[in-house]
Amino acid sequence: MPTVDIEKIKKEIIDSQLWRSVFRGGVWKDTPRDRAAHIIGNVWLHLHPVKVRPRALEWLYTWGMGGISFALYLILTLSGVALMFYYRPTIGLAYRDIKDLEFAVTLGMFLRNSHRWAAQAMVVAVIAHMVRVFLTGAYKKPREFNWGVGVLLLTLTLFLSFTGYLLPWDQLAIWAVTVGTNMAGATPILGNEGPLGSLAGMRINNDVRFTLLGGTMVGENTLLRFYVMHCVAVPLVVGILLILHFWRIRKDSFSAAPYQANEEKVDVWPHLVKREYVAAAATVLVIMVWSILQNAPLEAIANPNVTTNPSKAPWYFVGLQELLVYFDPWIAGVVMPGLIIVGLIAIPYIDTNPKGIGYYAWKERPFANTMFMLGVVLWFALIYIGYACRGPNYAWYWPWESWYGLKAAPPATWSVFGPKGDGAYSMLIGVPLLAGVSAAWMLLPKMIQRDLDGRKTMGAFLGLLAVLAAAGMAMGKMDVLQGAFLLFFLGSSFYFGFMLPQRHIRTLDWPRYLVTMVLVVSTMSVLLKMCARLAFNIKYVLTIPSISMNI
Amino acid sequence: MSQANPNPIPPAPSAPASPKEVKPAAPISRGDFLWAGWGMLAAFFAATAAAGARFMFPNVIYEPSQKFNAGPAAGFDLGVSTKWLNEQRVWIVRTSTGFYAMWARCTHLGCTPNWWGDQNRFKCPCHGSNYTMEGDVIAGPAPTPLWRAKVELAPTGDLIVDKAILENKPGKRENPPYFVDFASV
Repeated sequence: MPTVDIEKIKKEIIDSQLWRSVFRGGVWKDTPRDRAAHIIGNVWLHLHPVKVRPRALEWLYTWGMGGISFALYLILTLSGVALMFYYRPTIGLAYRDIKDLEFAVTLGMFLRNSHRWAAQAMVVAVIAHMVRVFLTGAYKKPREFNWGVGVLLLTLTLFLSFTGYLLPWDQLAIWAVTVGTNMAGATPILGNEGPLGSLAGMRINNDVRFTLLGGTMVGENTLLRFYVMHCVAVPLVVGILLILHFWRIRKDSFSAAPYQANEEKVDVWPHLVKREYVAAAATVLVIMVWSILQNAPLEAIANPNVTTNPSKAPWYFVGLQELLVYFDPWIAGVVMPGLIIVGLIAIPYIDTNPKGIGYYAWKERPFANTMFMLGVVLWFALIYIGYACRGPNYAWYWPWESWYGLKAAPPATWSVFGPKGDGAYSMLIGVPLLAGVSAAWMLLPKMIQRDLDGRKTMGAFLGLLAVLAAAGMAMGKMDVLQGAFLLFFLGSSFYFGFMLPQRHIRTLDWPRYLVTMVLVVSTMSVLLKMCARLAFNIKYVLTIPSISMNI
Repeated sequence: MSQANPNPIPPAPSAPASPKEVKPAAPISRGDFLWAGWGMLAAFFAATAAAGARFMFPNVIYEPSQKFNAGPAAGFDLGVSTKWLNEQRVWIVRTSTGFYAMWARCTHLGCTPNWWGDQNRFKCPCHGSNYTMEGDVIAGPAPTPLWRAKVELAPTGDLIVDKAILENKPGKRENPPYFVDFASV
């Protein structure tokens, strides 16, 4: 019986003209040259360098979140293209096509589930990636620009989710998009309901909302526009930014950490590529199992006249929805998201701390880490409140309370400063008072040029608050809960918004200092307004209705 | 042809001056040429962007009429009627003196509030705005009162509502055409 010479067959195949025409190079001998050629000669892998620092391979250092985000983007592309074969973006057909995908198309339910869950996982992965990059200081010079590209990619990830959930044309879809596009309609100058909008000649049929909707109401044009944005326009932009993002990672090198003695780079093939494939395989597995176990939600067919009660955005936008309870749409829906995006992009340019590049540095970067994590925690706290603590009529229901009991009507709100009839006190007092407090808050931390005794100052401030609260209670204008709210929110705003900047960033130059303080004070204003509304029923601290200036 | 030539041939120009007197125009400098070139390219891109933006504004939109017949006025009882909410997004409110039609669109971000008769309030399910029966904001984030639509009494006794014509200012919204007097029914 003739024996089969595997090695000989292998050699013949590899040396054949066909094989050589497809794969460059000869027989694999696993030499360093082979491993380098495997990266260089492969269009898919050549975005990698040939060698990489061993640090860049550690899971605890990278969390693998960037790679997992990209794996999810690929899953979303594939499942999305598959769904497009059965989906028609018209009002009469969209919802029926989704139902068909769920009940009549082989694997339709599975593909829709994968698409929905991968999208949600991608939001989590991209946010986790950003947190990791921040905590390891990996955005610092020379990586400032790539951090900015990353922030844009995070924004576009959220925008892809937003455009995606209009497509099923269910109640979630139509009301989320109604609210979202009305926020655009509240944009200053460019929106017909925004401040200065009517002065700039904006009407319901020529403003920025009109272009988003392709009409004056959510309708046929809107569905088509969101479909094209979701399936073609935005993924194209994301693809271009991804190439830029990856290219800069490679050019700026994979790890920012200081070099250690005798550190030797390792081959990307197989060490890094192997880990990437394992992470991608694990991601695929998780999404598959999740999609088999749980179906994507689909509400009743869209009714443009009646809203479900309560109507909540998908979880990653519920924080924004909760923010909209406290601030006017043009502030909560336009200015604050804009400030968050611009502020994130600005971080590498205002953070001049040379320490903590490429490793976790809680002690060396106390201010940057505390403020960033405070922002992240605040965002997720808002999401938790909106998701778990809001019930019918968007009233406050504790998570353990039944939604079947109707809450008493909320007490009437009032405004502190405003024109006669709108505010309890004149806006002529309010404007200079608020301007003075804001200016003092912005400037004092830098102008006090010595170290304040943290304990004594905090103690004095809290003591003052306690006296105020006690006086309020004695006069019968405040109860204990309101006093506690006042102490907690004002105290934490003072600590994070005044004490920390005074201690850590007063040596910054004025431009960087002021930009930082604008971001810090805006963050604290969310805490303060929440306290004012939740505990004291204050609608606006200052209202000037004629110019829609309500804060 | 007898017709006079309306465009007579202009007289021939006088003989050109001797070639020595013709000076060539000053040559355009390299810098000016580049400025003009880049300027035109920038103008082209700006025009393309403007045209692209204009393209996104449709000239014709196909949307349903905002006017509808709400049926006989006499058919409505005192208080808030949700009869037309599901089809036309309008509450017909009958007071002791007459009728008004309120557009069921929250002035905050455009969701449809619900009427809670036992608490005498409209409550919005999206961000928790509360309104009185008159449409004034009492709680929640809504910035302005609910809009009232133009409402007329047809000779047949039907209420004709037009959601394209709206008013929400106290003092104006209580008068025609946003209010149908009871006496005229």
